[in-house]
Amino acid sequence: MATLVQPADEPRRPNIASADIQLPAVTSYEQVDNEILSILKPTKAWFGGLLIALACLGLGIFSWGYQIHQGLGVAGYNPPVMWGVYIITFVFWVGIGHAGTLISAILYLFRAGFRTTIYRAAEAMTVFAVMTAGLFPIIHIGRPWKFFWLIPYPNWRLLWPNFKSPLVWDVFAITTYLTISTTFLFVGLIPDIAVLRDRETNPIRKKLLGFLSFGWRNSEREWRHFARAYLFLAAFSTPLVLSVHSVVSFDFAMGIVPGWHTTIFPPYFVAGAIFSGFAMVWTIIIPMRRWFGLKHYVTLNHLDASAKMVLFTSLVVGCAYIVEFFIAWYGGIPYEQDYFWNRVFGQWWWAAWIMLTCNMILPLSLFSQKLRRNPAWLFILSIFINIGMWFERFVIVVPSLSHDVNPWQWSSYVPTWVDYGLLIGSFGWFFMWFLLFVKQLPIMALAEIKEIVPPKMKKAHSHHGGH
Amino acid sequence: MTPDTTEATQGTEERAAVKRREFLKVLGVSTAATAAVGCGTGEVEKLIPYLVSPDNTVPGVSNYYATTCRECSAGCGLIVEVRDGRAIKAEGNPAHPVNRGALCARGQSSLQGLYNPDRFRGPMKREGGSLVATTWDDAIGILAQKLGEVKSRRAGAAFINQHEQGSFPALIDQILSGYGIPAHLSYDAEAPVATAQANRAAYGASWPHHEFSAADLIVSFSADFLDGWGVPVPQQLAFAEARGKVEGAPRFIYVGARRSLTGLNADQWIPARAGSELAIVNALLGRGSLAAAAEQAGVGVALLEGLQAEIRNAEASAVIAGGYTPNAGELATAVAELNRQRGSIGKTIFPDRALTAFDGVASLAEVRALTQRMNAGSLELVMVRGANPAYTTPPSLGFAAAFAKVPFKVAFSSIPDETTALCDLILPDHHGLESWGDAEPVRGLLSLQQPTMDPVFDSRSTADVLLAVAKSDPQLAQRFRAADYRAWLAERLGGNANLRTALTSAITRGSAATRTASTARVAPAPAAAGTGDYQLITYLSPTLGDGRGANKPWLQELPDPVTKTLWQTVVEMHGETAIALGVEDGDHVTVTTDAGSITAPAFVYIGIRPDTIAIALGRGQGEAAGRYAIAGENAYKLGAVTEDARSGAAVYGATRARVARANGSERIVTIEGSGRQHGRNIAQATTIAALLAGENEVKHHHFDGQASTDFLPGLRSPVANDAQGEFGVKDSKDKGQYDPEHWSGAAKRRWAMTVDLAKCTGCSACVTACYAENNIPTVGASWQGAQILPDRTGFGANITRSREMAWIRLERYWELDREPKDVKFDADHPDFETRFIPMMCQHCGNAPCEPVCPVYATYHAPNGLNVQVYNRCVGTRYCSNNCPYKVRYYNWFGYGDPSRTQYAFPEPLHWQLNPDVTVRQKGIMEKCTFCVQRIKEAENRVALEGRDLEPDEFTTACAQACPSRAIIFGDAADENWSVAKWAKDRRAYHVFQELNTYTAVVYLQKVNHPAPAASANA
Repeated sequence: MATLVQPADEPRRPNIASADIQLPAVTSYEQVDNEILSILKPTKAWFGGLLIALACLGLGIFSWGYQIHQGLGVAGYNPPVMWGVYIITFVFWVGIGHAGTLISAILYLFRAGFRTTIYRAAEAMTVFAVMTAGLFPIIHIGRPWKFFWLIPYPNWRLLWPNFKSPLVWDVFAITTYLTISTTFLFVGLIPDIAVLRDRETNPIRKKLLGFLSFGWRNSEREWRHFARAYLFLAAFSTPLVLSVHSVVSFDFAMGIVPGWHTTIFPPYFVAGAIFSGFAMVWTIIIPMRRWFGLKHYVTLNHLDASAKMVLFTSLVVGCAYIVEFFIAWYGGIPYEQDYFWNRVFGQWWWAAWIMLTCNMILPLSLFSQKLRRNPAWLFILSIFINIGMWFERFVIVVPSLSHDVNPWQWSSYVPTWVDYGLLIGSFGWFFMWFLLFVKQLPIMALAEIKEIVPPKMKKAHSHHGGH
Repeated sequence: MTPDTTEATQGTEERAAVKRREFLKVLGVSTAATAAVGCGTGEVEKLIPYLVSPDNTVPGVSNYYATTCRECSAGCGLIVEVRDGRAIKAEGNPAHPVNRGALCARGQSSLQGLYNPDRFRGPMKREGGSLVATTWDDAIGILAQKLGEVKSRRAGAAFINQHEQGSFPALIDQILSGYGIPAHLSYDAEAPVATAQANRAAYGASWPHHEFSAADLIVSFSADFLDGWGVPVPQQLAFAEARGKVEGAPRFIYVGARRSLTGLNADQWIPARAGSELAIVNALLGRGSLAAAAEQAGVGVALLEGLQAEIRNAEASAVIAGGYTPNAGELATAVAELNRQRGSIGKTIFPDRALTAFDGVASLAEVRALTQRMNAGSLELVMVRGANPAYTTPPSLGFAAAFAKVPFKVAFSSIPDETTALCDLILPDHHGLESWGDAEPVRGLLSLQQPTMDPVFDSRSTADVLLAVAKSDPQLAQRFRAADYRAWLAERLGGNANLRTALTSAITRGSAATRTASTARVAPAPAAAGTGDYQLITYLSPTLGDGRGANKPWLQELPDPVTKTLWQTVVEMHGETAIALGVEDGDHVTVTTDAGSITAPAFVYIGIRPDTIAIALGRGQGEAAGRYAIAGENAYKLGAVTEDARSGAAVYGATRARVARANGSERIVTIEGSGRQHGRNIAQATTIAALLAGENEVKHHHFDGQASTDFLPGLRSPVANDAQGEFGVKDSKDKGQYDPEHWSGAAKRRWAMTVDLAKCTGCSACVTACYAENNIPTVGASWQGAQILPDRTGFGANITRSREMAWIRLERYWELDREPKDVKFDADHPDFETRFIPMMCQHCGNAPCEPVCPVYATYHAPNGLNVQVYNRCVGTRYCSNNCPYKVRYYNWFGYGDPSRTQYAFPEPLHWQLNPDVTVRQKGIMEKCTFCVQRIKEAENRVALEGRDLEPDEFTTACAQACPSRAIIFGDAADENWSVAKWAKDRRAYHVFQELNTYTAVVYLQKVNHPAPAASANA
């Protein structure tokens, strides 16, 4: 460990991802409030970022409007490739959301301490990612103004949606997920909003914040109820981490398309989702801790611990890739064999190798502790993983459809500017929400960080032997 | 959590309290804000009833008119369905002896000629260099004046008519002679003039009937009788009937440099160089050695020895000569001699049952003579009707330039083209479906033609115009007393009453007025060999003919049955040639002959000799020919003025050409994904020997441990329990409405279809029939793609993204173990097998598309139909993803919306739309419905008549049109329907049976007839 760069404000034991994680450079509640709430002040750079996000969003809105007016033909669809960038991007964003819930709910239940400082950002990311993902099934359908026909609502035609269709399951999965993760995020925010309310001087904002904090009074009774509600919601969200992406994977697994029709998809998708979600958390958190001066909150220990999660999920995903190939060969179904060959060595080799490189090979670098604790590398890797995971969905959606059972209809697929416009627009939409969020609400859970910081009156008492 | 982590939260009760009332207010406002619902109130439209209903017209009920097809010279019988005064569908007349109810793609498309958006709206005259609209009185006055001048000054004049049978040519000649004008020129660029003339000399009939089913061997020397050459429908009927016999069906050998559709249907291909067929036939006749012939033909001598042996051993053979080579006439004569030698006349070839299609047709030499006279300035007036010689003659002939020199040109054509663009007066004729007329397709039999609807535009029958002009001339008025052409025809048939009676079937005994025989004998132009390394074959397109189909989007969108390209002209070459030239599919090549050159994308085609290239004629017309006809390149530019040595017929066959790589490349517009089956048993075949021995194996994949995919419930819709296969509960009573015994009777019928691949030739008539019946939009026009920043432009741009909408398509598979471009040409073993299979919605009993639709837009009807509810579809396209047959089609743009550039039915093409079928809007999925509108119509009709459906009482559009009679539709649950019997044929199989889809479409294996020696060895 002698070669490790050890900043002065870092704790000594780098490898503990447990509840007794330390923030040695954070010493008082005031420091927490002051440092984290100071982020809320907008800066020029922030306005610049927002402008870029809005420009991307504008491009997306224009593309969508044009597509609705002209028809889906302006996108790159090339039958039988009837699903393309939109479904890929849908799955991509749903996947992103999963890490947030994993961090905020499952890791909460497991008392994994490294989640404390990153969970708020991750949970917000979840909500915005699901909000983004939820748009894509609507963007993708031919008559988006009829999307509500997928929702079971009472109507005089006495028609229900087809509950056999995985797309209807999707509707339930996504709406449930959005509801629960929003609630979870909001409930976690209540004590923090109360802090904002108390510091607010503008009467209208104060009123609003008071409303949003449900009139939080910081009483013992409120804290007790809050803790139970939070625990309950964490428990409630936990199965969703597994179920939502399983349901999304059924969109493919329930089809009889070679390359889709496989039982490995649910676990494979869930692992992939968490993998991609952590990458997106890095993409957001690593610049944030630098720009907002939060390195002593999100410490290298935290990144190290999350890198292990990424490494683990990468191994799971890589294993799933290999199992897919094995089963295609072992299953003896010529359509599947032909498809997998075409995927990796034929028409789509480049996409498959982008996927394998980004998701399977590059993350192996995380076996090195040095790289796990190198934020610059983690950031670069996170971009690779984001690209790789987008291509994973591309490889699942496009090559399967383009190389289906009937060879006469085999085809290719090239997206058009409308596809790219909506893909870029989705990032604009996501980052617009995220940037607005950062300047309105605390990006780190004040209350939970204060739990780690030694209380004032106990300052004389040394909490840990190491200090 | 510790309770003291927030500070200074005491005493905030007043500030922070949320009152319940306030909370509800906020909730209410936000709910109302999000509950903005858009309920469109659409435009209110009015229905106006007839005050006085026209006779015989019941709104919503079709009338049917029997008439005669005028799309080519054959003279097939039509039944035209007319709804509310508009012709909406053309079908073959089952009572007609020529086509027996079948109809080819071009015949189907006559409707798009009728409703062509580029048709002349009314008479026009040239004023100040451009054509302007005028009145009929004015136009007829001008014509009468000009004809009067010609008559009085004895000036030279000529009339060129699109070659046709019947009384009209005789009428023209009578009127022309009244003005001192010689008999008209009956021109048809498609007519195999050389062959017809040689036949007339040899058999005494220009187009003898071939009874293929009486033969046990058919040999075609470049006679593309399944490609639209000659009289397409009767030839195809005869061929498919013969092949459909299976047992005792004839073996078929094709000799020709390019394997046309006819060649692809042959059991054996002998790729003889174009023009060398004559040497082969002569050798077979004993006038020369086979070795020399093989040398000249560029094929292995063993192939010709085999051919000789087979012809010798055949008990009954039918040898046909064709081609448009300079020695086509000589070839036909030699083949006739061979047939005579083999005793085939009266056995397989019947001159006494000849078709009259090409009697009296003019040769290119006569057109050339006319051109010379025009150039010499000896003609003051030239009239043209229907024919388009300015496009269909080689530009090197200089017809257009010579025509332009004529002082006054009159066009009677109903559709503008290159020739009418040069004319000074346009007197648009009615379309064939608006006209009176007759044809005599077989001697002694009149096929009548009657208007099926009021004229779409302000056109006027040319016969009526000429009669009116003649009546305005005092000397002629006596001779032409008939009020109009109808009266003239009625007179010939012995009165109005006779005409009315005859019109019910439009067929009557009798003969057309005899025309003046063409007396002009013109010496043919000497054949020029030309220079270049390659032999060039320009062939008449099976879909567009000589180009007259090019202004019809259905035909442009109909893939060529061989190359599967559409909306595009390609240069066909062998893979070896492509390698030699250093090009791949789509790379531009320039083809140059002594006459001219064109640049078009290269296209690798396995069925062509490496020393030969081929280009289809018919595309690349001028702006004048309308918005669709400009697609592609004009291969006529490559034609030299070469004529058949005997008859002076146009030569398309054999010119030398140079080929060079040109700059640029483009995507091949094709519907073909992979042209090979990759072992997937889609189009299956067996050999006749295996079939007779009961060894034909119906192939499908079976995986260990998989439940049996044998069809437990037969063809009826399986209930959930059935679909479990051998894992199902055998004695389950839980079958619901899908049980045939259910009290509702909903599952009493199982609509099903059989397709006999032994009969199917791949002609694709079913495809166009489906377009016509089901309002399928064509999507290949250059303006039908994305409008802002289109990533692909030009004709066929949508199709390069596989967005064609054909509910039924003809898949064409090469039986090869490698890509066709990698196949080397072997002059000794050049053969390869091709299989055609029509693919449409299989109406699976256990359909993969149904469970995945989130909104029940597709569901299973108890009668076996897989139903698509357009109005319920939101367009997730999951159904298409899950369809193994890939037969679902999506509306990418607003093809059905008149306000859009992508609109597929510009005024008045939309008059053709079938009112029984929805025009689909953008964003929804569509597919073959088994013509559910026809099923419902039949069921409603029998319900009104209080009876049950007769077996085979009605059929689908594809089955109705099929000139091979390969498609049978009906109720598979009722033993009396033909489909029930065919579905149990020993050759029956289901495509992708292993996927457990329980399809309602049953294919019957193709039957190959290998060479006798080969099958003995095998």
